[in-house]
Formats: sequence, C-alpha cells, structure tokens
Amino acid sequence: MKVASDVKNIDGMLLVPAGCELTERQINILQAWGVTEVEVEASEEKARQLDPLAQLPPETLAAITNTLRARYWKPDEFGPVPAEIFRLMLLREAQRILKPAS
Amino acid sequence: MNHPPSIKAMVQAVPRSLGSYAPVLREIEEALESPQCNLSTVGDAIQKDPDLTARLLRLANSPFFGFASLLTTVAEAVSLLGIQQIQDMITASSVLEQFKGVPDTLVNKHSFWRHSLAVGVTARLLAMERRLPKPDKFFVAGLLHDVGRLVLLLQAPECAAEVFALGQRQRILLRDAEKQVLGYDHQQIAAELLQSWSYPPVLVQAVGYHHTPVQSLARTEAAVVHVADHLVNAMALGSSGEQWVQPLDERAWTTLGLAPEDLQRIVEAADAQMLAVEEAFLKIGKGAGHG
Repeated sequence: MKVASDVKNIDGMLLVPAGCELTERQINILQAWGVTEVEVEASEEKARQLDPLAQLPPETLAAITNTLRARYWKPDEFGPVPAEIFRLMLLREAQRILKPAS
Repeated sequence: MNHPPSIKAMVQAVPRSLGSYAPVLREIEEALESPQCNLSTVGDAIQKDPDLTARLLRLANSPFFGFASLLTTVAEAVSLLGIQQIQDMITASSVLEQFKGVPDTLVNKHSFWRHSLAVGVTARLLAMERRLPKPDKFFVAGLLHDVGRLVLLLQAPECAAEVFALGQRQRILLRDAEKQVLGYDHQQIAAELLQSWSYPPVLVQAVGYHHTPVQSLARTEAAVVHVADHLVNAMALGSSGEQWVQPLDERAWTTLGLAPEDLQRIVEAADAQMLAVEEAFLKIGKGAGHG
C-alpha cells in the first residue's frame, strides 16, 4: 500500500513522503506522532476489484446495458443527471448479479 | 371509442371513506379533541386495532425511521413518530385501500402499491437530503402521486383500456395517451380528487403537477415527487402501468439543489428502506386482516 500524499506532523515536518510504501514500522511512527489517517493510492487491480461493472464479462455488461436502455423513453436524449442515474442503475444491476446467492 | 367522463364526474363517483381504518382514525381525532388527550390516549386508540399496532411497531423499529433503541409500545412509537405523521400515514394508506376493487387486468395492483410506496419512500429521502421541513409530508405525496390513475381504472375502465392500448400501439408515454383519449391526464384527476377531499393545497399541487413540476405553485414539493418518480421507475420498484422510464425534467432537479453525487446514497437508502417497510405498508394498502 502506497501513501498518496506527503504525511507531515503538525509542525510541517515530513514523516512519510508521497509514493512511499507503507510498512509496519512507518505505521508505528505515524501513530507515535498522533497521525490517525493517511491517504493511500488505490492500485489499478484493487480499483478494478471494487468496480462491479469491471468485474462483469463484457457480454453480460452489454446485455444489462441494452435491457436497461430499452426501458427508457428516448435514452439518447439524456442530460447529465439522467445519465448519472442510468450509471447507478447499471451498477445496482451489476451488484445484484455479482452478489453471491444466499 | 368510449366517451370519456369529465374529471369532476369521475371524482364525484368515488366515495369518501377511510376504509377499514376509519374507526381508528375517528378515535384518534376524538382523542385529540379531548382536553385530557395525551400520547397514551392516542396510543390506546391505535392499540384497539391489533393488526395496525403490529405494523406500526414493525415500521417504527425499521430503518425507515432509524431509531437507536427498540420501541416496544405504541405510546413510545407515537411519541417519537408524532401523532400527525401517524395520522397522515394511516390516512394515505387507507386512500389507496379504497381502490382495492380496481381490476388487475390493466395494472397489477401489487405492483402499483409497490411503485406508490417506493415513490413515497424516495420522496421522503430526497426531502431529508435537501433538509426540507416535514419530510414525512413528502412520503404522503409520493404515496398518493398516481391516485388519479386508480380513479380512472375504477370509474372509467373502458377509457383506461383505450389509454393503455394507445400507449402500447404508438409506443408513447401513458400520460400522453391519457391526454389523447381523455383530454386530460391522471395528475389532473388526482388534483381534483384530493382537492375535493380537502387535502392541503401543497399536497394537491405536489401530486397534481408531479409530471410538470415547474408549473406547480408548490414547485419544490412537486419537483421532489417528480425526481422520486423518475428514480423509482429507473429502479423498477413496481409500476403504475407506465411501460417507460419517463424523462427527468432537469429543471426539477435544479430546483432541489442536490448534487449528482448525492444520488447513490439516496438509491441505496431507498432500496434498504423498501426492504424494511414493504411488508408493513403493502399490507396496509391491501387492507390485509380487515373485513
């Protein structure tokens, strides 16, 4: 796990520079300085794992996109807000598909 | 082609009754008029209906309200939810209950209740997100937003059938088909009905303009119901008969002053709350357990 931005103490002294791998020892140092949280870089692989749409096979993603589009009245005339709602609906559907059957 | 009745004639033919919850609502009103009224007397009135009591407690303990501790008595539920809110919810549910005679041929009633409930839940969430006062009144507006279509189905089923057929045949929005066949639409019927039943003008405006919120005198309220309706149609939580996800009027979205980033939280909360409240409310809507 890499630190995304410089971590400094309250006096501005650099504790861990951006891009540095976060080790057990550095975590102990940060704790000693009272640092309770740091920004970390999300790896591309991790980001892919977190994105339900990226986890679906392309043909499944295409199928749910088409099914969803077919329910919309004039889907080609989307403004930015309906487009965001459409994206959320795709995510919601992808999460349902990926959710393990209980 | 059937000659469509006037809105007034249709609305006048709907009897004003509060269905099986009428005795409870009457008792609450009587308790409120009494100088000795307190939360416990209102609670006692509700407790005379065991089915309603069970549902109210289930709802009060659900994520819909999100209270930290378990509420075990009706008096506790009344004190935390508020008398007005409980009255509004029972009244709105009993309005829908009146239409249980609507045939399932054109619209599936369960799906209709589900859609209505989901718009109520989502409208309340949008109002809370926007920090509007009394978010529960938005729940009632959402719950009743398509009541005009129920009036049409009940009072003029042949005209309703023509509307649905035209919508399918020409692949147009049901509201446009209503205007072609009837000369008016379901939101106008709902406004007339709620007005004739002396509902608050803001509620009449919110329901009566939920497809055209910028024309409403209660623009914010109508915009909340409009956006909630769009979201719920997109989420496919039931249906009031419309086959399409209707366009969102982005001016309504602007009226709300929310950011697109707020939407994910609202959609997730609506899904979670629907899971929690569906059973309680839909049974109220169907009048289950009542003669």
